Amino acid sequence: MANTMTNKILRAQWFMLLIVIIAISVVTGLINPRFFRLANIINIFEQIATLGVVASGATILIISGNFDISVGAIIGLTASVMAIMIKASVPIWIVVLCGISIAIICDLFVGVTSIVFKAPSFITSLASSSIFSGIALAITSATLQTIFGKFSFIGSTRVFGVVPLMFIIGIAVYLVVHFILKFTRFGRRVYAVGSNSQAAYLSGINVNASKLLFFIINGLLSGIAAIMLLSRIGAAGASTGAGIELQAIGAVVIGGTPISGGKGGIFGTFLGVFLMGLISNSLNMLQATPYLQNLATGALIILAVGVSALSRRNSKTSL
Amino acid sequence: MADGETILIVDQITKRYGSHLVLDNVSFHLHSGEVICIVGENGAGKSTLIKILSGAVKPDSGKINIKGKTYAELHPRQSMQLGIATIYQDVELIDSLTVADNIFLGNETMNRFPFIVDANSQFEKSRRILQTLHIDIDEKALVESLSAAQKQNLQIAKAFHQDARVLIMDEPTSSLGVEEKRSLIRLIEDLKKRGLGIIYISHYLEEIFEIGDTILILKDGKQVGIYPREDVDINFVINKMVGRDAAMFFKRESVPLGEVQVKIKNISWGNIVKDVSFDVRAGEIFGIGGLVGSGRSELAACIFGMARKDNGEIIINGKAVQIQNPRDAIKNKICLITEDRKKYALFEPMNVQDNIVILNTELKSKALLNLEEEKRISRKIIDRLHIVVNNVEESVMNLSGGNQQKTVLGRWLLMDAVLFIFDEPTKGVDIGAKEEIYKLIVELAREGKSIIMISSDMPELLSMSDRIGIMRDGQLIKIMENHNISEQTLIHDFIGI
Repeated sequence: MANTMTNKILRAQWFMLLIVIIAISVVTGLINPRFFRLANIINIFEQIATLGVVASGATILIISGNFDISVGAIIGLTASVMAIMIKASVPIWIVVLCGISIAIICDLFVGVTSIVFKAPSFITSLASSSIFSGIALAITSATLQTIFGKFSFIGSTRVFGVVPLMFIIGIAVYLVVHFILKFTRFGRRVYAVGSNSQAAYLSGINVNASKLLFFIINGLLSGIAAIMLLSRIGAAGASTGAGIELQAIGAVVIGGTPISGGKGGIFGTFLGVFLMGLISNSLNMLQATPYLQNLATGALIILAVGVSALSRRNSKTSL
Repeated sequence: MADGETILIVDQITKRYGSHLVLDNVSFHLHSGEVICIVGENGAGKSTLIKILSGAVKPDSGKINIKGKTYAELHPRQSMQLGIATIYQDVELIDSLTVADNIFLGNETMNRFPFIVDANSQFEKSRRILQTLHIDIDEKALVESLSAAQKQNLQIAKAFHQDARVLIMDEPTSSLGVEEKRSLIRLIEDLKKRGLGIIYISHYLEEIFEIGDTILILKDGKQVGIYPREDVDINFVINKMVGRDAAMFFKRESVPLGEVQVKIKNISWGNIVKDVSFDVRAGEIFGIGGLVGSGRSELAACIFGMARKDNGEIIINGKAVQIQNPRDAIKNKICLITEDRKKYALFEPMNVQDNIVILNTELKSKALLNLEEEKRISRKIIDRLHIVVNNVEESVMNLSGGNQQKTVLGRWLLMDAVLFIFDEPTKGVDIGAKEEIYKLIVELAREGKSIIMISSDMPELLSMSDRIGIMRDGQLIKIMENHNISEQTLIHDFIGI
């Protein structure tokens, strides 16, 4: 029993990730001791906070067998609208409320079109992505909307003077999503629908309603991510957040959640996101060319897919 | 007729899945111009044999000799190259291409420019092939516009064009009308004259006596015999196909029957289920037999709300219940254990516990899970059903077919159902687990549940049912008390001769 437990841990993807994370940290730290300074570590967490929020939503969707590649465009549109409203001196709480509502409506659109037309959400979100960016370009006249620090408190607040608020929001989202996935009936439905939607339907689960909820949650998280980005950057345009959805999907895969759905969890995603931030930070610390960063992220995803495939094969042959 | 040269020798082919022997030393010779019909009940090993010949499955032992060479196993591509063509229903054709494109798919005729397909020459040649075989299809038509029968003919033409020597047909007439059947039989006669050897599988015994030269009978994986058609008649074949020892039958305990608990009234669904009515009493096991495609599973789908029935009523304990979807059915205490576990029941990426408690969490109105309770009840189910598993967190994919089936059963035991519908409850399950599942079904009957059991396994139907209903072409043609019914009678009723 203890033996199978050890085996299980050794085979788990998160364990591999942890080893990679430690290895990278040690090497970078040895070469550049500044790496281990608290300020730097907090810096890493602050930088990956937004990606973490987006990746948390992506985790729910991917486990449920869905995709949303319009998140970047949703963030662009939401952040643009919020920036315009802030410039027009609309009270912040209304701005935030509007931003989150827009993001949720956008994601609902992706979900509803996928359900009504029985199309994979990958395709409907691809199409939606164009629509959302188009709207964002139109309302901003393709210019960057600068808000001159009127909305910087989220990005700049340091709780107890050290811990960035962004970091706390990021961690809170991970925890909430973890709680939902592991401890609620709704979370169980995420796995059931992603495992076998026919079987879920025959077990009395309202698959379509559940699917809509998955998208609503993803929309909510996209809205939060848009708020975080706007606050940190202090400006927004149609291209704000562009590409973040693919990074998020990458992080989810690195974390060991298979694209085929039904399996996985937020802890892997957390490590995946962290590893992405860590690599970018390490390359900076090592004064490597920033172009290496894309290369490293790509290699990491391929590696993660390879590791999953190998461990799948091992677990099959061990039968 | 078996005087042509030998084109295929199957020699002592054996295949087992786990401890289950699916094919046991099957041997035959196929001659040019011969039609060998393989008959047997569901699960007799017919499809495994075909899969071995087409290269989809590897045999454990035995040899296949074709074109003078002996092979221990075939790969799909190799099998095709050796001239073995398998005609499946509907697959293997590309709908968006023309008839001619499909015939020439993979070896297109090129014109003088590189990479350019010579469409005109392909049309021309296709027309000739189709004319030779007397197949009436326009070579320029798109495949998507063809009927099922025409697609089948097209597959045959394609195989013919590719110089197939051995043609395997698995239930080719099951979706054909009378006229289409006739033309298929004419086509087979024609192919025989051209020296092809044909392996033909069908449930319809009359058909087999019409076109077969040789009849090979399989029963439970064993080759019962191989006979020239002239030497045997339908009754002889039926007796050989069934007729098992009493030892093969499960001896169930009898359970006192209660009042009528479930009434199924006038259920119809399109052309597939036609006006089916019957009652099931408390504690009764109502068996439903019939051929695959007779509408049995579809009837179950209508009762469970998986299919939207056009008509009909379901009355439970005197109350008509409205069932629009599976959720309604579950709330009205109906459960369905489907035939296809993998497709309709198992959550493969999830563990045993999650697979067991899924209904329980759905039925409770609580949003938060009680993980302790889940663990407790899933352990209880594992103990009660003797599911062999290391721990509740084991992935269901690691379990054997029997244990997977028990896991699915366990899920439904957790709700206090009134009506259990079992569709092929022991399909793909080993003998030991089979008996346990039978005991469990009887136990449910003893608790006063009403049970509908659809089965293609005759010993199962005969040993478990209180009454047996027989479906043919969507209709429930008769209901019999299960007293001294023989397998032979049942088969006669199934096929209607």
